[in-house]
Amino acid sequence: MTEPRTMLICDDEEELAHELGEYFTSAGWEVEVCIAAAAAIDRLQRFPAPQVLITDLRIGPVDGREVVAAARALPKDGPPPMIVIITGHVMNSAVAADFDSDTLCVKPIDPEELSAAIESFLRLPPT
Amino acid sequence: MIFLRDRRTAGFIEFGLIVTCVVLFVATGLLYVSQARQQALLTATVRSSGWVAYQGQLEFVKAEAAFSKVTPAPTAQGLGNLLLRMEILRSRLPLLYDSDEGRVLSDVVDTKGLTQPLETLLDQVIAEIETLDPDDGATTRRLEALHGRLLPLGEALQRILMESVAYNQEIFRRERAVAEAPEVVSLVLLFITGGCLVLLLLLQGRRDRVRLREIVDAKAAITAMEENLRAVIQAVPACVAVVDPDTGHATFINSNAAALVAATPDDAAWPGFVRAVRDAAGEPVGGCWGTLTMAYTRSTGDIVSLRGSICSVLWQQRPQQLIVLADTTRVRSAELQVMQAAKLATLGEMATAIAHELNQPLAVIKMAVANARRLLDPLPGGEGVMAKLERISAQVDRAKRITDQVRRYGRMPSEQLQPFSLRHAVDLAVGFIAEQYRAANIRLTIDANVPIEALVLGEQTMFEQVIVNLLINARDAFDAGRAGLCARQVTLALYREGDQLVVSVEDNAGGVAEDMLPRLFEPFATTKPTENGTGLGLSLARSVVRDMNGSISVQNVGGGARFLVRLPLLPSAEARDAA
Repeated sequence: MTEPRTMLICDDEEELAHELGEYFTSAGWEVEVCIAAAAAIDRLQRFPAPQVLITDLRIGPVDGREVVAAARALPKDGPPPMIVIITGHVMNSAVAADFDSDTLCVKPIDPEELSAAIESFLRLPPT
Repeated sequence: MIFLRDRRTAGFIEFGLIVTCVVLFVATGLLYVSQARQQALLTATVRSSGWVAYQGQLEFVKAEAAFSKVTPAPTAQGLGNLLLRMEILRSRLPLLYDSDEGRVLSDVVDTKGLTQPLETLLDQVIAEIETLDPDDGATTRRLEALHGRLLPLGEALQRILMESVAYNQEIFRRERAVAEAPEVVSLVLLFITGGCLVLLLLLQGRRDRVRLREIVDAKAAITAMEENLRAVIQAVPACVAVVDPDTGHATFINSNAAALVAATPDDAAWPGFVRAVRDAAGEPVGGCWGTLTMAYTRSTGDIVSLRGSICSVLWQQRPQQLIVLADTTRVRSAELQVMQAAKLATLGEMATAIAHELNQPLAVIKMAVANARRLLDPLPGGEGVMAKLERISAQVDRAKRITDQVRRYGRMPSEQLQPFSLRHAVDLAVGFIAEQYRAANIRLTIDANVPIEALVLGEQTMFEQVIVNLLINARDAFDAGRAGLCARQVTLALYREGDQLVVSVEDNAGGVAEDMLPRLFEPFATTKPTENGTGLGLSLARSVVRDMNGSISVQNVGGGARFLVRLPLLPSAEARDAA
């Protein structure tokens, strides 16, 4: 019996969000895609937290760290076990901890590398 | 010699001398007139007064003679003669005080007081004589008595005569004195006047000498000032030329002007230069030209930027024009460099922004390729498309490498440079690359002649990246196929050269193509296959080294290329303390 793997992707880059969603859906994840930060925060607060939150750092005018903060503040079932930041605007010297996330991926992302990193972090069996 | 410090006093004395001269001149004239008049007066006086007294005495003597003649033997004729003499004498007496001459004489002796009583006596004597009878025997005795009564008259006349003579003598003496005196006085006056004139001349001469000295001093001062001015003009770090406003020929030039236009003011290049300056200056407004900026082509062909001004001056008593120009070529060049740098900085920022933005579509392509491959995978006969997808993915990776390099290249240089050990940084870089060299069968020789304490200033991580880039370039050069058959060898040397530390990376991989050498450090210049290089590594290296106030260069040596990185040696803490 395996738990359903749930994931929330938040990126205003719609094509990327959907391609990413499609990739992980095909890998057996239940993926929700939000292309606005407000929608993502709303989703996090109303429903049980996903296992993985993948968010861009710059979602239109909103800072991705707001989404991360909202996730970290979830009281009920606790925050998502893994938070991933994907960005094209970060300096080379930046590290995940700078954004209170578990992993920092610089675009363009290699989906296989990201998938491997998530499975490794959550100690999930490879798909 | 009178030394007069005060010019005003000298002026007063001079004025006094002039007045004295004039006064003495007038006085001499007046003296002469007065003496002439006095002499004439004296002459008249002496003659007349002496004559009257003398006549009186003479008549008295004649009367006495008549007495003497008649007294022993009185005759009628003798008595008549005596009476006549006595009458003449009587008529003479009033003349002693009642004539022009007598009045002059009465100023000397009281002739009236002396003679008037005697006139009465004489009248009595005359009256008695008239009564005498020549035949009377008593006549002789009476004549003697009468003669005796005349004695006081004789004494008086004698006295008057004596006084007159004495007076005349005195007058003569004075006349002589006066006659002599004018010569002495005139002489004295002449001497005084002459003395005054000499003094005047001396004073004037002295004043002229003083004035001359002042003029000479002033001229010397002007000459010295002119010399100083010339020295200043020579020393001014600008081109200074004095030119004739009509002909445009140079009258005076300083060394800078000589170096700029022509060595001598007579040179034919000057009028052309002056014309160019005037053209640049435009029309003067109220006799003044504003600041001018111009470009001038020197005889050597160099074009220099000049900035300065032109103005009218009086040079050696002639109206001339002064041209002062500073060579602003380097400033202009620096301005252009700053503009270029600013442009490059803007371009860098734009490039960085573009690199960032490109990552977004690259990310989408990368994801889409991954999904396409997944979708294609179960389908039969999709191998050809799969290969294309692989290529698309590889090209996305290549594009990503470029954007990464651009972002690194376009980073703002850190203002906080830290001192670090050059040798330590090089060691770290070598450690990073050593494994790759072993895998590529390249012999890496480290020749470190720099102590571990030798410091340079910069960002250590970036500098390590530079060394890594150089070593990777050397490694890749062997794959480019220009290498000969000899063993692959890369030598990394560290040594000190004066105040600089030098890192030398030399390979024997055949060297860099000559046409590539001049632009090897320009962005996107690469000799590598497109799969390996971004063309930004060396450009980034140059940027980093420049941030460290160093330089990087390349040359072909023997069978390979040699990269030299020169960095200023940071004085050690001890050396800094000592300094």
